Amino acid sequence: MINTIKEQNGYLIVDLNISEASLNNSDPFKRELIALLDEKQKKVVIDMSKVEYMDSSFLGALVSSLKHAIALKSDIVLIGLRKDISDLFALIRLDKVFKIYKDFNEVPTT
Amino acid sequence: MTEATRNKILLIDDNSLFLNILVQAFAKTGIICITAGSAKEAINLLQTNRPDIILSDYEMPGMNGIELRKYLMQNKILKDIPFVFLTSLTDKDLLLQGLDLEAIDYIIKDTPVNVIISKLSNILLAVNKQRELSTAEVTNAAKSLNVKSIPAKTPVVNGFGIDFWHRPYHDIPGGDFIDFIPVNERYTFIALGDVMGKKWMAWYFTFGFLSYIRSAVRFATFNADYSTASILSKVNHIICLDDILQDILSSLSLLLIDTEKQVITYSGAGDLPLLHYDAKTAELRQVQSSGLLLGLFAEGEYTEQEIKLAPNDQLFIFTDGMIDFAGNKGKKSDYNLFASTITNQLNTNVNFEQMKATLFDTLADAQVDDCSIINIYKN
Repeated sequence: MINTIKEQNGYLIVDLNISEASLNNSDPFKRELIALLDEKQKKVVIDMSKVEYMDSSFLGALVSSLKHAIALKSDIVLIGLRKDISDLFALIRLDKVFKIYKDFNEVPTT
Repeated sequence: MTEATRNKILLIDDNSLFLNILVQAFAKTGIICITAGSAKEAINLLQTNRPDIILSDYEMPGMNGIELRKYLMQNKILKDIPFVFLTSLTDKDLLLQGLDLEAIDYIIKDTPVNVIISKLSNILLAVNKQRELSTAEVTNAAKSLNVKSIPAKTPVVNGFGIDFWHRPYHDIPGGDFIDFIPVNERYTFIALGDVMGKKWMAWYFTFGFLSYIRSAVRFATFNADYSTASILSKVNHIICLDDILQDILSSLSLLLIDTEKQVITYSGAGDLPLLHYDAKTAELRQVQSSGLLLGLFAEGEYTEQEIKLAPNDQLFIFTDGMIDFAGNKGKKSDYNLFASTITNQLNTNVNFEQMKATLFDTLADAQVDDCSIINIYKN
């Protein structure tokens, strides 16, 4: 579900290959993301442009992966959020928790 | 039947013509088909799809049906999806090998398509029935323990009316929880939370959160602390220290009604903005808090604000299930659509009781998560 695109500027850039991010795929997503963080020891940039809907189970998986990343002194950066999802992040203040950018060009160099 | 409740079948065959015939035949039954032309393609699809049943050809180039079944048996989630072989072979040893791999049946390929459809529909009916029975068994067990994450009734609070509506997703208790905690004649606390996750696991953790919230409220009020921000901060801190809740997050809206001053104090943790209906202007305004989800950071800062309701004003506190909708174009979250639906109802003088009977039932048809909403108004 997580496809590695490339490594650039100290980040591992990955693509999330699902349109509906929900309870059905939140556990495997979290396992894959945590394995990537552990293995690569790099900050991970997730391109979310294919995701059209995200439920609270998936948000929970994303946030607990971020806690794992912070414990490793790493980070999870989100790019390409669609408007509905970006609005949801702002409504529940997750925009203060994740670093969110429009695309990778906006992500500051580490 | 909504998209979410329709059965889904994964058809795997390297013969695309045969796949198309099956897809067209299944389309008439309401069963959703996803197709794969090889075992490898099926494995990729199963990463993001959870069908209710799999019908797989035996003879395929690359990985064959038996090898695919063996592969799925290694996966603790995928191995439980009912698996049916489709084969043109009549080799009894091979058929037995398939059935030994816990495949529930096999179908000979030259069986008429309508018979294949009937056979699989019957298997799905049996699977659905078994699922309902298992759910009913756990639901009954939970009922007999007499533990509830949603109260049976609302408290009587001088000067205010309180009502709520709650519907679990697929009628299985989930992560939403509501609590009313009357402290004395003057003060009553109201809590609405949503443990991130769905169904039984989320439901189980609601009790951890509810216990901490109740305890924090009691300890605080013993010490004459009636600050919702201070209570929320303590609840968050202790949840962050709890190993069992280490990976579990929850939103929370915590409100305190002070009947003497006739005001409401509110603090929020990763919750959706409340909606305050101003009867004078006939408009809804958002009441936004700044707190982050419970269990995220131990040092999370929480603030509080006062909400004053004028006569006929109303306050709505709700979980994210209320703003999620399933439509023809898939699922989406739309806070503004929910707010405008509520405004339209209120502007036609519909009260909460009437909303429960009509609006929320309509919303529930497109339900994709637990739905909970609390309504507070001035008497």
